Amino acid sequence: MRNGRAFWLFVGPFAIGLLVFVYVPIGWSLLLSFFDARNTVTPSEFVGLRNYADMLTDQPFLSSLGTFSVFAAFIVPLTFVLALALALLVNQISFMQGFFRSVFFLPTACSYVVASLVWKLSIFNGVRFGLANTVLGWFGGEPVAWTVSTSPPWYWLVLVTLRLWLQLGFYLILFIAGLQRIPQHLYEAAWIDGARPGWQTLRYITLPQLRTTSVAVVLLLLIAAYQAFDEFYNVLGTDRGYPPFARPPLIYLYYTALGSGGQDFGHGSAGAVILTLLIAGVTLLQGRVITR
Amino acid sequence: MKALRYLALSMAAVLFLIPFYLVLRNGLATEQEITARQWTFWPSEIHWENFGALFANPAVPMVRSMVNSLVVAVLQTVGQLLLCGLAGYGLARIPYRYANVVLYFVVATLMIPAAVTFVPTFVVVSTLGWVSDLRGLVIPGLFSGFTAFLFRQYFLNFPRELEEAARIDGLGHWGTYWRVVVPNSKGFFAALGVIAFVTSWNQFLWPLVIAQDQDSWTVQVALSTFLTAQSIEVTQLFLAAAISITPLVVVFVALQRLLVRGATETGIKG
Amino acid sequence: MISRRRLLSLAGASALLAACGSNTGRGGSGQALKQWYHAYGEPGVQQAVEKYAKAYPKIPVDVQWNPGDYDSKLATSLLSDGGPDVFESTLQISSVRANQVVPLDDVFGAAKSDFSESILATHTVDGKIYGVPQAVDMQMLFYRKSFFAQAGVQPPSTVDELVEAARKLTRAGVKGIFAGNDGGGGVLGGPALWSAGLDYVRDHQVGFDDPLAAQAIGKLRELYTSGSMLLGAVKDWAEPDAFTQGLVAMQWTGLWAVPAVQKALGDDFGVLPFPKLGDSGRPSVPVGAFGAMVNAKSKRIDEAKEFVRWLWIEKTDYQEDFNLSYGFHIPPRRSISEKASKLTSGAAADAVKFVRDNAKASNPPDWTSVMRTAFNDAVSRVVRDGAKADEELKTAAGKVRDELKRLYG
Repeated sequence: MRNGRAFWLFVGPFAIGLLVFVYVPIGWSLLLSFFDARNTVTPSEFVGLRNYADMLTDQPFLSSLGTFSVFAAFIVPLTFVLALALALLVNQISFMQGFFRSVFFLPTACSYVVASLVWKLSIFNGVRFGLANTVLGWFGGEPVAWTVSTSPPWYWLVLVTLRLWLQLGFYLILFIAGLQRIPQHLYEAAWIDGARPGWQTLRYITLPQLRTTSVAVVLLLLIAAYQAFDEFYNVLGTDRGYPPFARPPLIYLYYTALGSGGQDFGHGSAGAVILTLLIAGVTLLQGRVITR
Repeated sequence: MKALRYLALSMAAVLFLIPFYLVLRNGLATEQEITARQWTFWPSEIHWENFGALFANPAVPMVRSMVNSLVVAVLQTVGQLLLCGLAGYGLARIPYRYANVVLYFVVATLMIPAAVTFVPTFVVVSTLGWVSDLRGLVIPGLFSGFTAFLFRQYFLNFPRELEEAARIDGLGHWGTYWRVVVPNSKGFFAALGVIAFVTSWNQFLWPLVIAQDQDSWTVQVALSTFLTAQSIEVTQLFLAAAISITPLVVVFVALQRLLVRGATETGIKG
Repeated sequence: MISRRRLLSLAGASALLAACGSNTGRGGSGQALKQWYHAYGEPGVQQAVEKYAKAYPKIPVDVQWNPGDYDSKLATSLLSDGGPDVFESTLQISSVRANQVVPLDDVFGAAKSDFSESILATHTVDGKIYGVPQAVDMQMLFYRKSFFAQAGVQPPSTVDELVEAARKLTRAGVKGIFAGNDGGGGVLGGPALWSAGLDYVRDHQVGFDDPLAAQAIGKLRELYTSGSMLLGAVKDWAEPDAFTQGLVAMQWTGLWAVPAVQKALGDDFGVLPFPKLGDSGRPSVPVGAFGAMVNAKSKRIDEAKEFVRWLWIEKTDYQEDFNLSYGFHIPPRRSISEKASKLTSGAAADAVKFVRDNAKASNPPDWTSVMRTAFNDAVSRVVRDGAKADEELKTAAGKVRDELKRLYG
């Protein structure tokens, strides 16, 4: 079995790592999810499916899924449309194309932590000297406590614009790459057939040709929104924990399992398993859609 | 029409640059200028001494955390390229009875984002005694099924003729990989490498969980800690942020092409 | 065939990895003890505790300062083997049940009788003491005398008067009150309960399952919606900046802030307890003490205990320095607090009197973080979202009851 030895020489180190740092944790997590594992990771009290039942009826956990849905409902279409629009604009110009592409891509260099810092302390600061409140002031508006106010929930504006700024460039690049793969002769043929450049070619050539890219973008956006943690934690979290609203699933799991919320690994693991199943389901569905 | 396009793009560009401007402005101003009721667009005088104050502030371990971030990012980039490259090649090119089984196990992990399993991974890593330890920061992030899968897809399309020539020269799989395949795939390695570096530098959730000791904080954890604590000089916080993004902005400006390629590779195939 | 250079670079990389690993590794004998503090806001405290640690003659001690969400961080680290040997915290019965801390009764010796009983009680579970109280902290309401005089408002003695005063004192650029960027839901929940004569937990039973509780929390909502509350300040309630900068007429903060406020405002301020709601309630101030504790997972429990004994029992001059030289705290030991001249005049003297007459334990051991989270979430939803107080409190009471059942059977 010469090939066997060569194969494991190449794949072995990676496979061992995958086993230890991906499959063992998942298995352990499954195990913990059937135990009462508070303040310990080596529990002894088997509780069957109780943790799952608790999580599926747990109002904060369910509302964290709701939070994700609200967030995704804003961020996914907004990023999609704006990234596509900017990509079309950038793709149509020749002078300074590289410059604009770089500018829109540059925020990708920043971490969510840095962006949160700017958004929380400088743009959407609740006092008068924040940028947003300064601009409001020019128009005679009263200062708004952006990250505190829950009615209306201004913090969504903060969180959505933040993520939009950070991730738009990445998807813009994907769309540009997609646009450049569209064969030029399709457009030429359409013009000969009398289609006017602009809306018609966009509707009948560009968008259909971008289908694969679009599906990929939507899925990447959804999964990214699902895993939202960084900006929520840094914008809304305080030194005394996290407020009981706008908690996306990972924030809730973090505070349940590791935070001051009780070091409850049983419920935390059950929640993680439920989330994993949801994401795996979405991904499988994606496979169906793409290969269809 | 053309002018309109440029107008729209320019307006968007200004919006996109505002946060960078704010980081610099706030980092180089005095606290009074930032918190003044009257908006100042640019500090009346640049306060370079903020740098000295920041690095002298024992509460913000700026140097240490930057070094940690750098070490973690470099090791993760190199380690990922090494491990995932080898695995991808083995899966693509070495015929073996159980290769498909292994491939299924790799692909299955693509459906489970690492972020969701941070709780159980923490459990395992803490059992190994790697909390607040460089090993805990670096090693769990090396085994990316996604990167390995990308490498496999790439190597499937690698020209066979080159490998066959190497085979005729008497090279085995190992020699072929290092002498022929890797040197001819520099662009791909570089593209994935840059993306891996950026991702590693900017990651937050895992370092937050695993880096408990101040000595092991990455720069993101350090910034976040002071952001949520809110008991630090605002100017220093912004200056620290500016310093933390500088390496990546340099990488971005210098390696645009690689990044665009990396983004396209990692984005589309996902 | 692998080239030698490649092999070397590979070996080099793995050696680097291993070397870096052992750099930050721990546990070997002869290494420093690790001691954790949360981040005190007053300048000088960090330098002081580092100075104490350095002065310890027996073994080196590394001090870590932890800004941010200290409770969450400590909770996570106590689960792993990488946690601190000695740390400051309030005591929770759940940590005792999970064997995360060790009893320290033998550390006290004869000094035990010198500690205030009520403070020791907050570090005692089932008759054993788990923390050596370091400094007593209390929270209270600071008010600006000149602002009150200008507006013709008297210091409030009931919750209604407080709401009314905040409203009257609000004018352009000045808000009536600041109680944290969350609108007071975090720090005023307890005082609101006490103002109605209720409590977190009483005799292993939920202490706030009462219509009066909903009324008391409703008052916080009233305050929040009155437009007289400062929200989204740069620094949070624990630091007096909003108050000293004249952004507010009243601020909820603590005794520790008195030196800073005195420096900024001289005599132009006074302090009050949180007022009573009605006749059934009493004015109150939350009082608590961080205690030095020893991690049960520490590999050197005895050395850690000896260090705690040295620092917080033997070195009385350090305790005096720690309590009085930076922010103000009340020394938990009578022999020190009785001769503390800084606490005998002005606002500090008032604070000492409040502690004597109106003290409520801010973090009693039977009020675990799970219960606290449930209660604070409920209060926050009522105050900030306008949720129905009676329903939210009922849900929270249910969760607290479950937790009590889990702890006491």
